[in-house]
Amino acid sequence: MLGMKFDLNHLSQLANLKLTEEEKKQLPEQIEKIIDWVGQLSLLETGEEEKFAPVNFTLRLEADEPENPLPQSEVLAMAPDKEGDFIKVPKVLTGK
Amino acid sequence: MKQKLFELGLTEAVNLVKSGQVRLVEIVEDYLNQIDRVDKKVKAYLTCNFDAALARARQIDSKPEKGKLAGAVLAVKDNIVTRGLRTTCGSKILENFIPPYNATVIERLEAEDAIIIGKTNLDEFAMGGSTENSAFFATRNPWDLDRVPGGSSGGSAAAVAAREAAGALGSDTGGSVRQPAALCGLVGLKPTYGLVSRYGLIAFASSLDQIGTFARNVRDCALLTSIIAGFDRRDSTSADRPVPDFIANLELPLAKKRVGVLAEALLTGVNSEVAANYKAVVRNLQELGFAIERFPFPSWQYALPCYYIIAPSEASSNLARFDGVRYGFRADSRELSEMYVKTRTLGFGSEVKRRILTGTFALSSGYYDAYYARAARARQTIIREFQTAFKQVDFILTPTTPEPAFKRGEKQDPLSMYLEDYFTVTANLAGIPGLSLPSGMTLNGLPIGTQLLGPDFSELELFKLAFLLEKIFNFKNNIDGITTVREEEE
Repeated sequence: MLGMKFDLNHLSQLANLKLTEEEKKQLPEQIEKIIDWVGQLSLLETGEEEKFAPVNFTLRLEADEPENPLPQSEVLAMAPDKEGDFIKVPKVLTGK
Repeated sequence: MKQKLFELGLTEAVNLVKSGQVRLVEIVEDYLNQIDRVDKKVKAYLTCNFDAALARARQIDSKPEKGKLAGAVLAVKDNIVTRGLRTTCGSKILENFIPPYNATVIERLEAEDAIIIGKTNLDEFAMGGSTENSAFFATRNPWDLDRVPGGSSGGSAAAVAAREAAGALGSDTGGSVRQPAALCGLVGLKPTYGLVSRYGLIAFASSLDQIGTFARNVRDCALLTSIIAGFDRRDSTSADRPVPDFIANLELPLAKKRVGVLAEALLTGVNSEVAANYKAVVRNLQELGFAIERFPFPSWQYALPCYYIIAPSEASSNLARFDGVRYGFRADSRELSEMYVKTRTLGFGSEVKRRILTGTFALSSGYYDAYYARAARARQTIIREFQTAFKQVDFILTPTTPEPAFKRGEKQDPLSMYLEDYFTVTANLAGIPGLSLPSGMTLNGLPIGTQLLGPDFSELELFKLAFLLEKIFNFKNNIDGITTVREEEE
């Protein structure tokens, strides 16, 4: 754990994950190893140019026009919980 | 004895059905029997589509004009959505997800009268190289049931190898079609970024993902690819350009004959039988009159670390959508934020969590420049090296994998599994196509694959070279070599 580059609690909060006791034991070491290993990338000499997606062709843009959406009943059929025509979730605001 | 129809190649089956010599329903029934017989051992399928497949087969049999794939019985990786047919992504979080629409590739296959016989197992969210990381069960390699089929499209590869389908779709983010193809003795293609629509492919890493094809020979792989390739306005990264006719041109002479091979230094650590096979393949090409050029490729060894920053970063963002609200699994909770956390915590497996957390780290404030931005610069360097190489050569040849199929449970350490992608990730980073072709066998009877890489949209050239090599390698992808099938025969 010494010299840990990251705060696992903070990362799991950002990712909306809660770790089990088992994962809390295993993950820090595993992720530390992965981060150290990918760190070797600093040895590669690169230019300043960045590439985020290998699109070497012209992307065709589409007009922003609405089309026929999925029927509401089919969308609602997927929902874990619903009430009438709405997807239902637990309360958003808590009393804290 | 009556010929077993599941042993027919995809093209053969299509020809027989279209000429009226065999009814499609007989082929489908043969596959159903075969799946019933061998899938207890192979465990390739997560969901079977038997009733719908039979009904469709009867319907297609009665059509006077049949589509280009009438006769093709196909398996589809379970991260490609199928209307009305459960699509799990190998994850508890989508265990009961029934998609309300079809992926574009499914629409195109069905429009040509292909039969989708089932959905195949994968490493959860396509993250892994062995198909042991599925939330449901591990798939086995039909050549040796104690070994993995590779991954993440291991279910699709195992199904085609074990004659549980004539061809299959997979997805390839870092090698997930090519590596299992190599480990299962199949032809597997990862097309150029933009050639095949990803509408309906559940996203893992959007700048790397492509849908690819598996088959037992080059012609079948080319036929399947020709149907799913081409522009789709529903995928904003789809290339609007004509697709050449892979089949009509397959046997035409190859005009391009310069091949790049990797420098010796890049092959250290490769299994000795795989390395020997690679050398033999290079010799074969020389004998055929190909000019061979050796490349130092200084960035190659950095492709894996580059990939393992970019892929988890994109995954951490893409997988944020799984929150239990609109579809999929939802954990019981009293309030919304608790519901998000509980749903994701119970719904995702450990490799998925590991990647989400690694990606969250690489994108987090204070680390973005040192990790994600650096990887984006490395990616451009890798792309430039390929561009320079493809000015001098038409193809680059590598082994597909550092080793043949490994034992189940052998790779417990995540990093050791990541090294499986050493030869394959460069193509995803650069967006170029890569094809894996069976090129030999180890002494203990495991397939070895060779990877052919080409510049953007060079699929036709790759198929032509592969077609030529296939005849020379004379790889016996026959049913006798496959443990699971053979044992059942005895």
